[in-house]
Amino acid sequence: MEETVVMNEETGEAWRIVNIPGKPPIPTDQQPTVNVYASMIEPNLANTLIRRLNQIAPLENLRHVKRIRKKAVEGGKSQLSAILCLACEDENQWNCVPENVQELVNSYQLSPFITQVCKYAASSKEEWEGQCKLWPTSYHPPTYNINGVMGFSEEDSQSVFSFMKFAIELAKSSEERLVNAAVIVDPSNRQIIASACDQINSWLPPESNASMSNGCIEQAESLCSHPKSSQVATNVFPLSNGSSDKFRKLYTNVSCLNPWRSSEQRPRTSSCYWHPLRHAAIVAIEVSAAMDRHLFPALGHIGDECYDVEDMQSSFITSPAKRPKTNLTNVEKEDKQVLHTKDSCSISERPYLCTGYDIFLVWEPCTMCAMALVHQRIRRIFYAFPNPKAGALGSVHRLQGEKSLNHHYAVFRVLLPYELPTKGETLAEIADKDKRANALQFH
Amino acid sequence: MASHSTDTLALMELAIQQAKDALQFLEVPVGCVIVQDGKAIASGRNRTSETRNATRHAEMEAIDILLEQWQRDGLSELEIAEKFSQCSLYVTCEPCIMCAAALSILGIKEVYYGCANDKFGGCGSILSLHLQSSSEQPHGGAKGFTCTGGVMASEAVSLLRSFYEQGNPNAPKPHRPLARQATD
Ligand SMILES: [Zn+2]
Ligand SMILES: [Zn+2]
Repeated sequence: MEETVVMNEETGEAWRIVNIPGKPPIPTDQQPTVNVYASMIEPNLANTLIRRLNQIAPLENLRHVKRIRKKAVEGGKSQLSAILCLACEDENQWNCVPENVQELVNSYQLSPFITQVCKYAASSKEEWEGQCKLWPTSYHPPTYNINGVMGFSEEDSQSVFSFMKFAIELAKSSEERLVNAAVIVDPSNRQIIASACDQINSWLPPESNASMSNGCIEQAESLCSHPKSSQVATNVFPLSNGSSDKFRKLYTNVSCLNPWRSSEQRPRTSSCYWHPLRHAAIVAIEVSAAMDRHLFPALGHIGDECYDVEDMQSSFITSPAKRPKTNLTNVEKEDKQVLHTKDSCSISERPYLCTGYDIFLVWEPCTMCAMALVHQRIRRIFYAFPNPKAGALGSVHRLQGEKSLNHHYAVFRVLLPYELPTKGETLAEIADKDKRANALQFH
Repeated sequence: MASHSTDTLALMELAIQQAKDALQFLEVPVGCVIVQDGKAIASGRNRTSETRNATRHAEMEAIDILLEQWQRDGLSELEIAEKFSQCSLYVTCEPCIMCAAALSILGIKEVYYGCANDKFGGCGSILSLHLQSSSEQPHGGAKGFTCTGGVMASEAVSLLRSFYEQGNPNAPKPHRPLARQATD
């Protein structure tokens, strides 16, 4: 399914989940078309004619094209046209029309004309809507399986909405300033693996690089809202110094939108540093990695062939014995059990990086964050608001459609039944305006 | 191969040393140094295995060191931004899309890299994040930087090759027939 709509029966609010495909929709005027012969037909002849046409001139390669077009005309009536057959390459060559179609035209006194229909089935709802302006087509949203991702059941949708609500609450939790928030979830048991907000102003550097892992675990425990720990732990933001113009400042702290502005008027604290790259997604990945090391300390180095390993190999080295590529993305439970019996350690219970996990973000991530989520092998990304300035999942770049990458997640936008908190303007627009207004003041 | 100045080569040699260090720790051998006024002021190497965090690339490691150091020294954000705009990065492999985006946010002046990164590269191979126009919004977000590739590329590649020849002990074991290999 491309779009899932779920109504809340009590409030009548509709939440929607919309897939953001790897390729942008093709504008109607750029879609390839083919010419066909069509003719207006009398409504009472429609059934007979269509049955006959399907026999003598089936539209083999145009199964997505509807045989009949219905047009509303004046007086509440409708006018029907039907496709007779494909037109020849060479236009106006009526004699290439099959004889039995010609007979049909003659016996029903049809007046054929040439028209265009879209050559390929629509790959998105937007494309389909465009196609239908030319000639109606049918659209079968994929009941899809992007990297093993199935469509959403009612139950799954509700789960998506509740995690998105959780992310939004986190984003609002930082005093009067709205930041981005990220929640990494294991959808198999609906547990939160890690959650974090932007930490541009609240970086706790590890004590030294040598003791990095310890530092990170402590940090993770203080920041992470593991299922059993308190959610409040995520709010480690230093209080901002009571901005008078609350509304104006509301969205400028979203790092993926505005990495530098977010750091303005940083309150100095002794323990927290400023770090312009500590966007919510990056911090959440760090928290989940720290949790992994914490829960599976004995595994040592197992588990990272991620990043550039095999890809660098294929990029730089033409190795005669290419290391077998393994893909844990689609590991099923049976496979895990097989692994378990083969390897004596408990690797079977431990996912490889964030394989199989979902992430919920309030804002579409920037390029840095979106690529970080490729590296960490996130399965699906859900975000609520687009990021027109820097978004890398459709707004500015579209990493889910970059073929060369070694991992592809599926991307969904969750449309809320309300806007936060004003009506009429999207948050991104407000943030954008705000940014322009503030750019002048920054220097 | 274009001739590079001895300074450039000496600095890339430091990055190569970092990559060798990574190799010793069974990490993908990529290393870097950040340079100001001709002096290496921070170094980093890939730590993705150790941390189980696939974002801990050499560049991120070096950036963290500087951010911490400069704030300990009492520099303001504006001063730090100024510093980054005077810094060059020497890295054995073309920065990936994530790191290139990060460098662009920080406003680094220039990047020298060894081998290209055909699958992930953010400085020309897949995206060209170094080419962003810097005219709009001085600190609004992404900025471009100059980028020079192919500095000691063969050394960088041979390190990667030795990584594969010694085998990657971290790779998950194959658990399925290699049916998908044709598509990889
Ligand atoms: Zn970001
Ligand atoms: Zn990188």
